[in-house]
Amino acid sequence: MTSYSKEVIADLVAGTLPWPQTRRIMSAYKDDDRFFKYVAVLQDRVGWKDPILLPVGDHLFICQSGDERVTKCECGHSFGDYRRNWKLEAAIIVRDSEETLREIYPNSDLPDPDWMEVREFICPECGTLHEVEAAAPGYPIVHDFEPDLEGFYRDWLGKPLEPSNKGG
Amino acid sequence: MLDKPASALRIRERLLESERLMDETGCYDGITELKLRNQDPLKFETLHTKLRAYCVSAREMARRISASPGVREVGEMVVAIYTPEGDAIALSNGIMVHVHTMSRFIKWMIRNGYEENPQIRDGDIFANNDAFIGTVQVPDVMDVVPIFHSGKLVGWAGAVCHELEAGGITPGGDVALAQERFTEGLFVCAEKVGENDELRRDYVIRCERNLRMPIYWVLDEKAKVASCIDMRESVKALIDEIGLDYWMQVSKEFIEEGRRAQLARTRQLTVPGIYRGHTFYGHVTKGKPGYQPLGDPDWLYNIPIEMEITSDGKIKMDFEGTQPWGYHSMNCTPAGMDGGMFVTLTQHMNFEGLVNDGAWMATELKLPKGTWTNPDNEMVATATSWALLLPAYGVFQRLLSRSFIARGFVEEAFVGQVNSPMIEMGGTSQYGTPFGMAHFECAAAGSGALAIKDGLDTAYVGWNPESDMGNIEIWEQNMPMLYIGRSIVPNSGGAGKYRGGCSFLSTWLVSKTDHLRLVTSEHSSRVFDNGGLCGGYPAPTCQKHRAVRESNIFELAEKGAPLAHHTGTNPYRSELEVRLEGEHVTLEGPYITAPHKTGDVFTHSYNGGGGYGDVLERDPVKTAWDVENGFLTKEAAEGIFGIVLDEDGEGFPVANLDATKRHRAEMRAKRLARAKPVSEWIAKERERVKAADFAPEVKKMYASAIKLSPRFTRDFSAFWDVDAKSTFGVE
Repeated sequence: MTSYSKEVIADLVAGTLPWPQTRRIMSAYKDDDRFFKYVAVLQDRVGWKDPILLPVGDHLFICQSGDERVTKCECGHSFGDYRRNWKLEAAIIVRDSEETLREIYPNSDLPDPDWMEVREFICPECGTLHEVEAAAPGYPIVHDFEPDLEGFYRDWLGKPLEPSNKGG
Repeated sequence: MLDKPASALRIRERLLESERLMDETGCYDGITELKLRNQDPLKFETLHTKLRAYCVSAREMARRISASPGVREVGEMVVAIYTPEGDAIALSNGIMVHVHTMSRFIKWMIRNGYEENPQIRDGDIFANNDAFIGTVQVPDVMDVVPIFHSGKLVGWAGAVCHELEAGGITPGGDVALAQERFTEGLFVCAEKVGENDELRRDYVIRCERNLRMPIYWVLDEKAKVASCIDMRESVKALIDEIGLDYWMQVSKEFIEEGRRAQLARTRQLTVPGIYRGHTFYGHVTKGKPGYQPLGDPDWLYNIPIEMEITSDGKIKMDFEGTQPWGYHSMNCTPAGMDGGMFVTLTQHMNFEGLVNDGAWMATELKLPKGTWTNPDNEMVATATSWALLLPAYGVFQRLLSRSFIARGFVEEAFVGQVNSPMIEMGGTSQYGTPFGMAHFECAAAGSGALAIKDGLDTAYVGWNPESDMGNIEIWEQNMPMLYIGRSIVPNSGGAGKYRGGCSFLSTWLVSKTDHLRLVTSEHSSRVFDNGGLCGGYPAPTCQKHRAVRESNIFELAEKGAPLAHHTGTNPYRSELEVRLEGEHVTLEGPYITAPHKTGDVFTHSYNGGGGYGDVLERDPVKTAWDVENGFLTKEAAEGIFGIVLDEDGEGFPVANLDATKRHRAEMRAKRLARAKPVSEWIAKERERVKAADFAPEVKKMYASAIKLSPRFTRDFSAFWDVDAKSTFGVE
């Protein structure tokens, strides 16, 4: 069975693994023990102790926080119950004018702000930009991902989660 | 009639039985046990490798027969081997989207009684380019031949080439101006076009008299027939070796194994749950010549996708909430939607094991009737269906990527494909002859970023993973235009910790013609038709066209003065305007205008891919390299990424790490100061929604989605706490 050390997985996740080695990992049979090594790497990276249950973005994690399961930013900011759309608890910058769109698109033709706006969802504590939506004005904010967390641990990983009083 | 099916049943009954067995057992053709695989796994794998080798070698041989630079240079061809019921067993590389659309074509003939009339015999050749029977668009012409062994039907060999000229209302293959089926070009509807391994002369004459450049189509036909015969003979020789009974069983086990492998791979690489995403597409035709007033001229498309990964590993994709079909060429049929799914899966999940129709069987598409994904009118045009198909499957790639990131397989996460706008052309060639051609250098867009590195620059399109822009000299042989520039477009990848791959732009001088029609398609106006992921931005994909009519370029050349080789980086005054005199034109796509002639200059920009991650985390050293090589500008490095660059002794950019750290801290603080709580934004925005205070095209988009989709109506109403129907005046 293919398997890599935690250090290799850490470098891969950080984007610092040399390309030839990354390429070999991409071409090889996948390592079935990846998930828990990955979570361990991320757990080392964050500055808090709540166990990570599932990464859902580059700096966003579902974690067990006491008897709750919440979506948390890498900085420790909690967006609340993981079953709710974390974006609704985020801070937002909306680019809906030529001036604000030009800041990101300095030399190209721009979308028509009457047809499309760019929405940036930001951690209100550390300012990390977690997600960008490009949408027509008035388009409801998307709930990107609703994982079947318990089914994943029970049926796919074979390690059922402890029952939680709150938050699933 | 059919000489003899390999089973005791007639082929149509056999197809129905195969489908019934799948329904009853959940396994392909009722294959609940992989007996031959278990008996001798090595023989099993070796045989599949042989079949794949037959396909790859047949395609390479056939490409040498073709006259089309699309097939010869860029590889716009795929071939495959099928079961008698029309399910793909093995395939070549190339435009794999058509492996499954050909499957639909074969099944369509079987279901429609072709066994009796026109009959299926050894040596027959059947062709099709009707998307409602089984292809994506008119230029995707497919040929299949039955494979008989010992007088019995034992399979099919099939091949597709994308034709560079289809004889439609506008020249080229992707006929941008087609608003109904009747203007799309030459249709061949599941037709017997040859017997005894030879194309019928009357069919060839029909092609010669209905196409602007028949040499492409006709020689491609010969190439496809040659590849099919080559595969057929290889399969027959293989059956001589392994026996007919073994072949009939093993070919089905290959597909069942493909199905099981797909389910297993989904369970291995992803996380079960519901994933959502969307993209948009702007179609602007108001005032453009040639468009009939059959519907609203300008149209904003929303393409929402909900993907469910079930606990057994099945991937279900639902397009509910998207727009209805329209009187334009961008509609798609279920065959095209299947094909998009197939080619995406083949690239992203089927990178080991057997690749065939089994993977597709482990997925499910929900295509709401009446939408562009499944029109309830078979007279609609589908000539440029990639315009909506590519953005849609770009969303699918982002949804899959989120699942890879959740599971830890970050090296597989990929922000996805983008549209790569095409130029079609026709008129009088540089040789003084009539001509028509699709320019296929578009097969080399920028890719979306990965979760661990930047996207590929000018080296990826979704429909053909072999992406290749082709050699300039070859294109110049085939059209009356000369390249005066082919350049990377700076900042054309979506910004992010990892940027999207950059696009390129070509600049041409129209030469030796007094009549060159240029038409473009598959590029969005006014909205981005792609996205970023995890904080990355979409790539700038709503570029306009720039041209100069009756330019003074020959005078400048005579004087040895500088020419324009690209449009430059000033969005308000292009290099064309700086360097050239003449009539300057800036147009939103699609580009449909009066013919060009010698001395005119035309530019065309392709698309970059979306970005990944927060821009403030981008590597400063890598960025300095990007600026040095023209992928980013110094201004973008500082303004977007917060990276301060100095110059070394020789004038090359070097990252100033301390200044960058300080600048980024300021940018982060500004970002926080500028942002407001989402709840506050929603409360304010709700007033605008209640008043439906939107552009007419946006209002129309909402009304159309609400009419077609109860779920969209429900979700919209719940999110904004409004009655969506009354807000947009829907009965």
